[in-house]
Amino acid sequence: MATAGHAHSDSFQYQPALPIPNGKLCMWLFLSTEIMFFAALIGTYIVIRFGAPVWPFSHEVHLSEPIGAFNTFVLICSSVSVVLALEASRANRAGAAKGWIATTLALGVLFLGVKAYEYNAKFGHGIYPALPRSRMYEKPDLYFASAVRQRIQALRAEINAKGAENLTEQDQQRLQLLDEIAADPALGPDPTRASLTALALRIMPLGTAPGEEESHHAGLNDEHPWLKLPIVVPGGNMWASTYFTLTGFHALHVLGGLVVFALLLFMRLDAGKANFIENIGLYWHFVDIVWIFLFPLLYLF
Amino acid sequence: MSANASGETVVDPHAAEHGIGKYIAVFVALIVLTGASFFTYSSLWPFHDEPAVGRLFMMAVSCTKATLVMLFFMHLKWEANWKYVLTVPPAIMAIFIMLALVPDIGLRYRIASPKRRAFMAEPLDVASVEAGSHAADNGDQQHETGGEH
Repeated sequence: MATAGHAHSDSFQYQPALPIPNGKLCMWLFLSTEIMFFAALIGTYIVIRFGAPVWPFSHEVHLSEPIGAFNTFVLICSSVSVVLALEASRANRAGAAKGWIATTLALGVLFLGVKAYEYNAKFGHGIYPALPRSRMYEKPDLYFASAVRQRIQALRAEINAKGAENLTEQDQQRLQLLDEIAADPALGPDPTRASLTALALRIMPLGTAPGEEESHHAGLNDEHPWLKLPIVVPGGNMWASTYFTLTGFHALHVLGGLVVFALLLFMRLDAGKANFIENIGLYWHFVDIVWIFLFPLLYLF
Repeated sequence: MSANASGETVVDPHAAEHGIGKYIAVFVALIVLTGASFFTYSSLWPFHDEPAVGRLFMMAVSCTKATLVMLFFMHLKWEANWKYVLTVPPAIMAIFIMLALVPDIGLRYRIASPKRRAFMAEPLDVASVEAGSHAADNGDQQHETGGEH
C-alpha cells in the first residue's frame, strides 16, 4: 500500500513516529514507567495505612506538618523556575536560563536539606525503619520491658566503666535516675499489662490528634535525651517502613534531577538546548507531582 | 525559537501561548491549594471528627494541583493526542496495582490468626493504667488491676 499512500500524499501524511523529538518521547516513556513505580509505592502505602490496626499520630513519630508544607512550597517554586528556564532558553536568553537553572538547583538542595533535617529528627528519637537501630516497639509487652532493662544495664555499665573514683556528680545523678527507673514495677519480677503500659507512657507520652491541644507532659526520653530508652509506638514500625521508603525514593529522584541541573550549569543554555531543558523539566515536574501526593498522604492523613 | 530533533533552530509555534503570566497564575494557584490542604491540619478545620472528609478534600486538592502542573508546566494542554498514548495506559496500570493489593495486604488484619494477633500492634490501653494508679493509691496488689496478658 506504500504506492497508494505515496499517490495520495496530499490527503494522507505518513508519520514514522510520534510528532515529538526522540528525547522527549524517551522522557515520556520513562515517566510512564515512573508513574507505575510511584503508583505502586503510594498505592501500597494507602492500602497498608488503612489496613493497619493502629497508625501513629504524626507527633508520636516527630513529623512536623509545617516543615512538610514548607518543602511543598520549595518544590513548587523550583517547578516554576524550571519552566522559566525553558522559556528563557527558547527565547535564546542563555544567561537568564542559566540563572533559573541555578535557582532550581538551589531550591532542590534546600528541599534535600530540609529532608535531611527531618530524617535526623527521626533518627535522634530512635525511629529507624529496621533493627538494630530502631528503638520502637509495637506494644508494651515483655520484649519491650526486657529491652528497657538491657538499655539500663548498658548505661550503668558505661558509667561504671569509668571507675568508682572518677564518677562526677552528673554520673552519680544519672546512676540514681537509672536505679529509680529500674525500680519501676514493670521491670520487676511480676510486670502487669497496666504497669508495662504505664512504663511506656512514662518513657514517651501518647501523641495527640491534630486539632487537639498538645500534651505538655514530657517523657523520660525528652527530659533526659542521653537515656535513649526503647519506646512504644503502636504501628510505628510499619509507619517508619513506609515513610522512609516513600520519602527515600522521592529524595533519590530529587538527587538525580539535581545532578543534571548541576551539569547544565556548565553548558551554554541557548535555544539549541531548549529541548534538553524541556526534558529535564518534565522529569522535575513529575518529581514535584509525586511530592504533591506524598505531602498530604504522609503528613496530614 | 526552539530546536527540533535534528538540531535546526525553528520558531516555536506555541511561544505566544506560554506566557510568563500564565505560569505565575498557576504558581499562585498551587500555593493557595497547598495552603488549603494544610488548612485541614489547623484547629480551624471544622471536620476533625470526620477524618474521611479531610482526606477526600486533600486528595481532591492534590489531584487539582497535579492536573495544573501537568497541563501548564508539563505543557500537556498544548500537546497533540500522543499524550494520551503515553499517560493513560500507565494510569490504568497504576489503579489496577492498587486494587490488586487490597485483598492481600489491605484486609490481612480483618481476620487475623491468633499467632499474628500476638505480634500485632494495638492501641495503648490507657484506661488500664489509670485504673492501676488508683489501685496503687489504695495499696492494692498490681495483679488485680492488670487485666489479661
